[in-house]
Amino acid sequence: MTHGTVNARGSAWSVSAAIAAALLAAPVAGQTPAEGPSFTRDIKSILSNRCVRCHGPDPEGRAGGGDEGLRLDTFVGATADLGGHAAIVPGKPDESALIARITSTDPDVVMPPPDAGERLSEKQGDLLKRWIAAGATYEPHWAYVRPKRPLVPVVKDSAWPKNEIDRFILAKLEAEGLTPQPEADRTALARRLALDLTGLPMAPEEIDTFVADASPDAVEKFVDRLLVHDGYGEHQARQWLDLARYADSAGYADDPPRTIWGWRDWVVRAFDANMPFDEFTIKQIAGDLLPNATLDDTIATAFHRNTLTNNEGGTIDEEFRTVAVIDRVNTTMSTWMGSTMACAQCHDHKYDPLSQKEYFQLYAILNNTADADHKDESPVVGIPWEPVDTRRGAIKREIAEIEAGIPALAKPAPADRPEPPEFQPARKLIDDLRGKLAATPAMTVPVLAELTGDKRRVTKIQLRGNWQNLGDEVTEGVPGAFHPAPVNAGQGVDRLALAKWLVDPANPLTARVIVNRIWERLFGIGMVSTSEEFGSQGELPSHPELLDWLASELVARNWDLKAIQRLIVTSAAYRQTSKCPPELVARDPENRLVACGPRVRLPAEVIRDQALAASGLLSRKKGGPSVHPPQPDIGLSAAFGGGLDWTTSTGEDRYRRAVYTTWRRSNPYPSMATFDAPSREVCTIRRPRTNTPLQALVTMNDPAYVEAAQALARRMISEGGSTTADRALRGFRLVLARQPVAAEIDRLVRLHDDALADFQESPEDARKMATDPLGPPPVDLAANLGDLAAWTVVANVILNLDEAFMCP
Amino acid sequence: MIDRHIHEARARLLSRRWFFSDCGLGLAGIAAGAIAARESVAGLAPPSPLAVKPPHYAPKAKRVVYMFQAGAPSHLELFDWKPELAKNDGKLPPADLLQGYRAAFINPNSALLGPKYTFQPYGKAGVEMSELVPHIGGIADDICLIRSMQTDAVNHAPAQILMNTGSQQFGRPSFGAWTLYGLGSEAEDLPGFVVLTSAKGTSGGASNYGSGFLPTSYGGIPLRGSGDPVLYLSNPKGIDREAQRASLDTLNRLNDMALGRFGDPEIASRIQAYELAYKLQESAPELMNLANEPKETLARYGITDPSQPGYARNCLLARRLLERGVRFVQLFHEAWDQHGNLKAGVKQNCADTQQASAALVSDLKERGLLDDTIVIWGGEFGRTPMVQGGNDGRDHHNRAFSMWLAGGGIKAGHVHGKTDDFGFNVVENPVHVHDLNATLLHLLGFDHTKLTYRFQGRDYRLTDVHGHLVKGILA
Repeated sequence: MTHGTVNARGSAWSVSAAIAAALLAAPVAGQTPAEGPSFTRDIKSILSNRCVRCHGPDPEGRAGGGDEGLRLDTFVGATADLGGHAAIVPGKPDESALIARITSTDPDVVMPPPDAGERLSEKQGDLLKRWIAAGATYEPHWAYVRPKRPLVPVVKDSAWPKNEIDRFILAKLEAEGLTPQPEADRTALARRLALDLTGLPMAPEEIDTFVADASPDAVEKFVDRLLVHDGYGEHQARQWLDLARYADSAGYADDPPRTIWGWRDWVVRAFDANMPFDEFTIKQIAGDLLPNATLDDTIATAFHRNTLTNNEGGTIDEEFRTVAVIDRVNTTMSTWMGSTMACAQCHDHKYDPLSQKEYFQLYAILNNTADADHKDESPVVGIPWEPVDTRRGAIKREIAEIEAGIPALAKPAPADRPEPPEFQPARKLIDDLRGKLAATPAMTVPVLAELTGDKRRVTKIQLRGNWQNLGDEVTEGVPGAFHPAPVNAGQGVDRLALAKWLVDPANPLTARVIVNRIWERLFGIGMVSTSEEFGSQGELPSHPELLDWLASELVARNWDLKAIQRLIVTSAAYRQTSKCPPELVARDPENRLVACGPRVRLPAEVIRDQALAASGLLSRKKGGPSVHPPQPDIGLSAAFGGGLDWTTSTGEDRYRRAVYTTWRRSNPYPSMATFDAPSREVCTIRRPRTNTPLQALVTMNDPAYVEAAQALARRMISEGGSTTADRALRGFRLVLARQPVAAEIDRLVRLHDDALADFQESPEDARKMATDPLGPPPVDLAANLGDLAAWTVVANVILNLDEAFMCP
Repeated sequence: MIDRHIHEARARLLSRRWFFSDCGLGLAGIAAGAIAARESVAGLAPPSPLAVKPPHYAPKAKRVVYMFQAGAPSHLELFDWKPELAKNDGKLPPADLLQGYRAAFINPNSALLGPKYTFQPYGKAGVEMSELVPHIGGIADDICLIRSMQTDAVNHAPAQILMNTGSQQFGRPSFGAWTLYGLGSEAEDLPGFVVLTSAKGTSGGASNYGSGFLPTSYGGIPLRGSGDPVLYLSNPKGIDREAQRASLDTLNRLNDMALGRFGDPEIASRIQAYELAYKLQESAPELMNLANEPKETLARYGITDPSQPGYARNCLLARRLLERGVRFVQLFHEAWDQHGNLKAGVKQNCADTQQASAALVSDLKERGLLDDTIVIWGGEFGRTPMVQGGNDGRDHHNRAFSMWLAGGGIKAGHVHGKTDDFGFNVVENPVHVHDLNATLLHLLGFDHTKLTYRFQGRDYRLTDVHGHLVKGILA
């Protein structure tokens, strides 16, 4: 047991056992329940959590046994002769010292020692005894073994499954004596699919068309339309930006602006084009090293230029360059392989096969790029950006014209003598133009560029993780416990080899990690619930065979992400209703068995985009420099001087999708941060989903949301028909898609009528509520300000309904 | 396997059980008497992450006020009297003093600069402190002065982050966030961790009080000095409190219907959250309104105009927050970076802060709150005994600096640790940042090695892999 949180008290364990039993009642791959304890399922977590900290791979912390200390994480170590006895004697629990130790009542003898927490439970002791009696077979950690494509299970109810996924899900449900829930109604399914795949709500008319489509493949056709929807890539990119710790500022104290949006647009384009994930990977890690690398290939490498740079006076560039490289190692391994490496920065990993030396061998691969915590973010590449290029082109042309007329002006004014007076006006003009050109720099993106020759750095192990305390020199390499990197004999492992290694079909983790993350997004929780950790400290998968099947499917389909998403969202499992019977919720509170459909709170970006889209304000302009939608004056700019001022964007840039909002690490856009958007200082694998009063203040009172309510109110009036009930219905459906029940409409109508009565008595309040900040209504809108204000109140309530925050 | 997940799963399981055994009740009453809504749905919602939790063992203190003096105050002008330094003013420091020393900006081999102010003994204990801090002198018998603080960082941002989160890396939870995570919040209608800022913004920014990888509910909420004290606290323009209530009643009713339809306890949580938000809309302005504070109280803190933001007002607000059950209040006053203008700058800063800092301690004491409150005063590092720029400035110095503490479990009227003749190195009882944090957690009832959170495969803690209890400062 780890020491965990202060909340975890002894009583948690009985519950944990129940949950573990529920999760693991169906067999783990390769095991059947009749076979006695399974190492992976039953034994490993006991050893790993209670023994391996002192009897594990890290020689420094190892205790007991002979000179080398006792290891219980390997068969050889556990069965080693310790002078006539051994910790484990396979087949003979009574002769195994481990059993004697864990059952001893002598505080000096018992293991784990009393100060390391509670005794092992009787059940745990019994499992260990039976496992030793059966031969004490060790198995390698499941996630480090390349997945084998499992056979699709046979199920009793052959009518329910729509594809292979369902057979895996149903096999387990049947083993549990459960049946799946019926399919969600079409409207709920349409809203779920639209929000999951594009992050945008769908017009009620489009939903009605889908509901009316009686063809047998209506859902598939609907999904196919969403997969090529113009908003797909923007929505899919969002999570990748969390992983890549993308932001529009450089971080640390000054947190100055950084121009790197060109990479963000590259990611959006890649998702829209359904770039195969292996290609997507190779370009971001090593696009610059590809033969005949294109500008786009180089832009892709900005993935790792999203690390922080420190411009504070007195800081040493090398120190913070080192921090950035460490971040790149950790982010790479987290993003692709679900493996947390941070521990090995300072010492050999205590639980997983990764030494500190191997950590710095990975570090060495990433340690030879030209960037070095420079303030100018060099190296960068120029990227085309039409508005700027046009302006620059025009200025350059003007300069050229003047120079053609007076060639002397092409050179700076001579310092030693005055120019002829007739030159003066033209000289001033050309200086102004040159100033303007300098003030209109071409757009750039910071990129990776490999150092060559004598500029290359030597990598040494940093003792205890200290960049100034160096140990042995290391060469580039990948951890020995995994498949070798794809290099020719005698060749070193460079970034390109690392990239290919990550997406090598022999890589046991990458495909699993990616399909698990897709699953997590759609179901709210991954099959491996610790999506950030697949190592031995992570949780076992709820459906190991399905995970492996999907992983092998991803590779077999040439890393086609849309194909995998399509497979999942067209499954019967995904299509189930999220109305879950109470007894099922009680039995499986996290819905790990997928016996009903997902009901998940929307991400911050989607909550905002949905409000703007439903109200008709959302701009669908794609790409370009990040924008400044309205935010409160937080009074920080004064402290740090210019460059940080938030000048609210005008025109449609005020209403762009959230993915285009300028992200400042030291002050992330407040309303989205309140809904758990991370600061993006480090790679974020999984956002928490909180539910707080501060969120209520945002969606009730933030002028940006009030503005959306005002616009929604105008839509309700102009599109909703003439009766109050019909207008309420229109607003309800624009946000929630479904048809309301009569009681819901009644409440909204009552709210409207009461509010209207109040506003008629206070016209100034009505004017404010109806028009501040959106502005006066169009002249052809047949409504007075009191009515508009009352509908704004109703719209505000609709946008604050629990259902509005949830994927149905 | 991982305790946190087990805890979360258990919490959800239990709350759902409760809910489904009682869900026949319905919540129709909400519309009629919405104030009762919070109580009526309270049992249905999963436990709030801010629910009150017991620490590892009986605590000495249950709340904290941290007066963070950002920019790094000069210990040599304020709390650490060095007559030898005065004598050697203008001379070069002894060579052996500087071995392996890394200064932020200056050439370490710069002349020594004598203290700009004189010191005197204060209190029954006769603690030597500067003439600039007579009010702090007035509480000398209530505080524990540590003259042997040490830190690893020499630049503001990393040093502030280290002091507040136990790491120089951005992205770790702050001390306040760890405290909320460990203890929950007792404040009914205010955030559990409140931040008040004066002077200019801090170098470490929001990371100084952020939740890091802990859930965002544990992060500090800055109360703003002007405008809405909490972001988006004000109703939309044209909406008064009654109208907001009417919207909320409709919202609650509709959400109640959804609760019946989906049976998802998160909906009950949301109803509760909206009711709390509504309460906060009243309680936060009430908190900020000092109109009813007696004149004597304002005078004691040195507040001339209670409507004007500033450090003194923040100290009084801190007391009001603590009285209302807020677990952790942190003041940031970034003004102490005297690379130059040392003499006037330190004097001005003391004029701005020392009276109010002392008033907060004595006010808490009179109200019986000091016994179970920890008061902390200090910045991110100290200043060099060597001069910077002309003859009126000091550079950053991480090897020795001073802080003071007061309140629950702290040894009052005590001086801990000692520096050498120049205030350069600690020569007795060094207290590293991690040691301080370990000790503060201990006073709150935690074994600092066991207050952990699993993130990216590691059990993280405030003290990283360091920290020793400083027994010498415990009562």
